[in-house]
Amino acid sequence: MKQEQWETLVAVIRGETLRPLPTGFIIDCPWLPNWAGHAILDYFTDDRAYLADNLKAIDAFPSTIFLPGFWSEYGMCTEPSAFGAVPVWEENEFPFAKKVIRAPADVERLEKPNPRKEGLLPFVIKRLQHLEPEIEKAGHKIRFAVARGPLNIASFLMGTTEFLTAIKTDPERMRQLLAIVTDFLVDWIAFQRECFPSIDGVLLLDDIVGFVSKRDFETFGLPYLKRAFDTDVTIKFFHNDAPCKVCAPFLPEIGVNFLNFGVQHTLNEMKDWTGGKVALLGNVPPRDVLADGSPEDVRRCVTDLLSAVEDRSRLILSCGGGMPPGAPTRNIETFIATASELTR
Amino acid sequence: MYDFAKFREAVLTGDAAAAVSLTRQALDGGVEPVDLISQGISPAMNEVGRLFEEGEYFVPELLISARATKAVFEILRPLLAKKGVQSAGRIVLGTVQGDLHDIGKNLVAAMLEGGGFEVTDLGINVAPERFIAAARDTQAQIIGLSALLTTTMPAMKTAIDAFREAGIRGRVKVMIGGAPITRSYAESIGADGYGENAAVSVDLARQLIGA
Ligand code: B12
Repeated sequence: MKQEQWETLVAVIRGETLRPLPTGFIIDCPWLPNWAGHAILDYFTDDRAYLADNLKAIDAFPSTIFLPGFWSEYGMCTEPSAFGAVPVWEENEFPFAKKVIRAPADVERLEKPNPRKEGLLPFVIKRLQHLEPEIEKAGHKIRFAVARGPLNIASFLMGTTEFLTAIKTDPERMRQLLAIVTDFLVDWIAFQRECFPSIDGVLLLDDIVGFVSKRDFETFGLPYLKRAFDTDVTIKFFHNDAPCKVCAPFLPEIGVNFLNFGVQHTLNEMKDWTGGKVALLGNVPPRDVLADGSPEDVRRCVTDLLSAVEDRSRLILSCGGGMPPGAPTRNIETFIATASELTR
Repeated sequence: MYDFAKFREAVLTGDAAAAVSLTRQALDGGVEPVDLISQGISPAMNEVGRLFEEGEYFVPELLISARATKAVFEILRPLLAKKGVQSAGRIVLGTVQGDLHDIGKNLVAAMLEGGGFEVTDLGINVAPERFIAAARDTQAQIIGLSALLTTTMPAMKTAIDAFREAGIRGRVKVMIGGAPITRSYAESIGADGYGENAAVSVDLARQLIGA
């Protein structure tokens, strides 16, 4: 991310209404490698491809902000790998991790991993360190520490259904699991900050919070998210593209000041539920419009989005979720051009 | 008179232990297993589905109700079999190869079980051969495929083609679902049915096997 892009983000988060309104997209393996002409596994295993693909996207859409910017993920495998979850790789599919916890009782034996040494985490760090001189030469800085959130990691370790069932049937052990995961997350974020002093933001991605009631969120979400985000950085960025109504009112208390959410809710609703305190990144339908729609659909959708939102402060136009697989260049260009034209 | 309301309450609140002990009480008191289903489980699971649609219930609430239902069916199934009462049908369900999304698929499994179907859930990332083997083992009448990624939708077609090659396509109906799936996509790959959500999947399954 360029310095001026970072400053734009910070200005929006502080409440300035910029003209034109900025646009931004979370990009990672579901979209980037295939868009840039690489197989997903090559993107993950070849640092040159990783760097080239990221730079190619930045060059192709210079006026938009790609978030979190040079993010060295391994799909859904990064954090689970440190807990011993086997990552599954196919040539051109999204990797994921196999479960390691068979029954809630296994939590008793679960150890907090060391992010400096275990799983794929050293690879994530080293890749970025090896590429950092070139990233900086191209005018960018690594700005965000990134991780999946506590409920999301717990779900990978156990299976989502098993985890969501066990918060009802074995709540004590699930709190224990979340505590271990969160202790690990705190270390992992601290380690990323230590390795890259340019980091001044944290991004946590956790869709699983979207599936629980308010009461369960207060027990199994709130305390852990609060701890994970409890670090001294300027931007606290949260992604949840599953339902967001339950967690939204708690986001300011958690410290979140920037949110990417899904298409279940409108921008006005989210502003209302977060008390206007959280900058929003959203929310054109990613799959149905940005990936599968025509440029005209994209244009119409961006126009409708803008005309529906009364207060344009704390807003960065985007899609409701990460950039989806297959989103074509023409649609992204149309999105950016429409946003810029209508908010000049 | 047996207190069906109390039994329904146990299912509704996902209290598996209470549901099981109330089932035993009912059976000891001479209640017919089919009545426990029609006056207990079915209305309770319909109510669970309604509460979920209305945003009163969330995924965990639905999952534990389904778990209670499953525990009750474990007691009832052998009794029903003895009396020659068939289950509503046998279904093999799974998320297709390359896809790990299973929240929606599991809700479908829960509602189908609540509707009296015997569900064999193969989980996520299921290769066609595993569907075929399970369909053979369980003599399934329906195979249900779920996909949440546009990139794994083609794996549904691959699976259906494999069912044909394995010679089981004539014996099983295939129903598919998942957020990116549409009725016309289902038709285009030769599936027999498309279910938009968990609630309709029960009626769909019934229709498919003419139950
Ligand atoms: C939760 C979620 C996840 C969770 C999944 C947890 C789990 N165990 O399921 C996690 C975080 C793991 C995840 C991972 C990924 N995800 Co995801 N995920 C979602 C999300 C937010 C919600 C999906 C969901 O559970 N919905 C709730 C359930 C209840 O609804 P449902 O699944 O549609 O099911 C209902 C019906 O469709 C139907 N149904 C479903 N199956 C069946 C089957 C039958 C037989 C029938 C009859 C009916 C039926 O009934 C269900 C109940 O009513 C969606 C976005 C969204 N809001 O939809 C993205 C989304 C699906 N994910 C997406 C992506 C890209 C990914 C990743 C590739 C991201 C990555 N960086 O790697 C990985 C996938 C890796 C892999 N190999 O699969 C994209 C897909 C885009 C596309 N073009 O297809 C989406 C749309 C988000 C986006 N940016 O656009 N994801």
